[in-house]
Amino acid sequence: MKESPEEKRLEETLRSSQMVAGGFMGTDPRRPLEVIEDDEDLLDKLKLSIHTLGRRMHELTDLAIPQMGNWIDDPRQSRLRVKADDYNGSLVCPWPHPGSYQKRITTVKDKNTGRIVSWTDLNIHMIEAHGFFEGKGAFFRIEPAQIAAILFPDLT
Amino acid sequence: MMELLVPVLIMGGIGAVLASVLVVAEKVIANYGICKLTINDKKELHVQGGKPLLTVLREQKIFIPSACGGRGTCGICKLKVLEGAGAILPTETPFMDQRELAENVRLSCQVKIRNDLRIVIPEELFSIQEFQTVCTRITDLTYDMKLFRFELRDPPEIDFTAGQFVQLLCPRYKGSPEEVYRAYSVASDPQQKNAIELIIRRVPHGICTTWCFDFLKQGDPVSLNGPYGQFCLGDTNAPAVFVAGGSGMAPFVCLLHHMRNKGIKRKAEYFFGGNTVKDQCLQAEMSRFEQQLEGFKFIPVVARPEPDSGWQGETGLVTDAVRRHYTDLAGHEGYLCGSPGMIDASIKVLVELGMKKTSIFYDKFS
Repeated sequence: MKESPEEKRLEETLRSSQMVAGGFMGTDPRRPLEVIEDDEDLLDKLKLSIHTLGRRMHELTDLAIPQMGNWIDDPRQSRLRVKADDYNGSLVCPWPHPGSYQKRITTVKDKNTGRIVSWTDLNIHMIEAHGFFEGKGAFFRIEPAQIAAILFPDLT
Repeated sequence: MMELLVPVLIMGGIGAVLASVLVVAEKVIANYGICKLTINDKKELHVQGGKPLLTVLREQKIFIPSACGGRGTCGICKLKVLEGAGAILPTETPFMDQRELAENVRLSCQVKIRNDLRIVIPEELFSIQEFQTVCTRITDLTYDMKLFRFELRDPPEIDFTAGQFVQLLCPRYKGSPEEVYRAYSVASDPQQKNAIELIIRRVPHGICTTWCFDFLKQGDPVSLNGPYGQFCLGDTNAPAVFVAGGSGMAPFVCLLHHMRNKGIKRKAEYFFGGNTVKDQCLQAEMSRFEQQLEGFKFIPVVARPEPDSGWQGETGLVTDAVRRHYTDLAGHEGYLCGSPGMIDASIKVLVELGMKKTSIFYDKFS
């Protein structure tokens, strides 16, 4: 199906490297809507909603923020450790609506498996509001199966 | 088969003709010619129409702060457009409150100059200039922070208030094909008008910090604009508590230079937090300030000192050290620079210790 002018403009913004290094699409040749639909299918197979995932990401980020860059154990899942590093500046949502997010990287480590997943505050917003996990090859692309394996191992 | 193909070809042909007409119309009809920009009812500029107001003002060396590069997504480049802009666009309204809508506030990146415009620009923005500089020194401060010195070439001097910031133009480089601006607090002595020093912490995969750390070399030309911002030392004698972390160090170095230059003797204690001993920096410079400023004390705080570091100083979060240090902060002023998490936690502690909220001034990383 042909892209609407709005979708075309959004794709240009997502592929541009003006807002984040390498752009939000990375090297992914798919259109943004295809990326969103494919990731939605993956989550459906895991029976995980973006709202449940987003809520858990928020919980972990909120737990880490007061520690100012130091690790803290997650009281809900003791195998998880989390930290949040803040940097100077903000990231702006590429969708055409107001939305500016602190440049903050939350890192979660599974102490049992050694697996790590990281996200920015903007990642949480884009997942919750737009179902967008970023394109393959983007620096902050989150693989739905990988994050689910760390935060929701019972589902995988 | 032909029954299907013929209508498709006809519709495709009509579409192609219409697209061509639009392209020609854009070039011929949408030539807006020279338009008059009336600024604050004082100054008139004559500019070629057809471009966004933000771009035209930048070409005229009038710098309106913007974080998204004119894409209409940050909502920062607001200006009053009193006449000539037409109806507000759907891309602008989400950023406006009722008062702004009533006062004809617009996003300058979304207003295309098609005819004469009457606009209002805050006076303080006229003092912002673009500076062509040369990077003359790069100093490692920690494993992820560096101090960059830029000597001014054109214009050769800058006037700024201690605590202000500048925007650095990050040029196109391998892997980053577009120019971007990023803001950094000035760390240098305000009396030294021919140079600017910035303390920059590497952001993982950050566009501008990657360029600064991996591509920028001594001798390279760099474009800056500024100064911006209102974070500065209040004109009182109240004892001050400074709290910072990471590159939040920068404005305090500048404020300390200012205090020394002006002979300000007010008591000031500076808590600088880091997660490890490796996050601490500029200790020798802080010791010099302690000798030069009668009432100044530097208190580095390390959250989790490495076991073999031999760290003898304060430990824990920077807010823990503040709490240990004071019992009553009534009558004090607080100055904070760092992450929102650190600033929010610091405000909570300072208020709990009796400091008035109105006596707390901060520069959040945002």
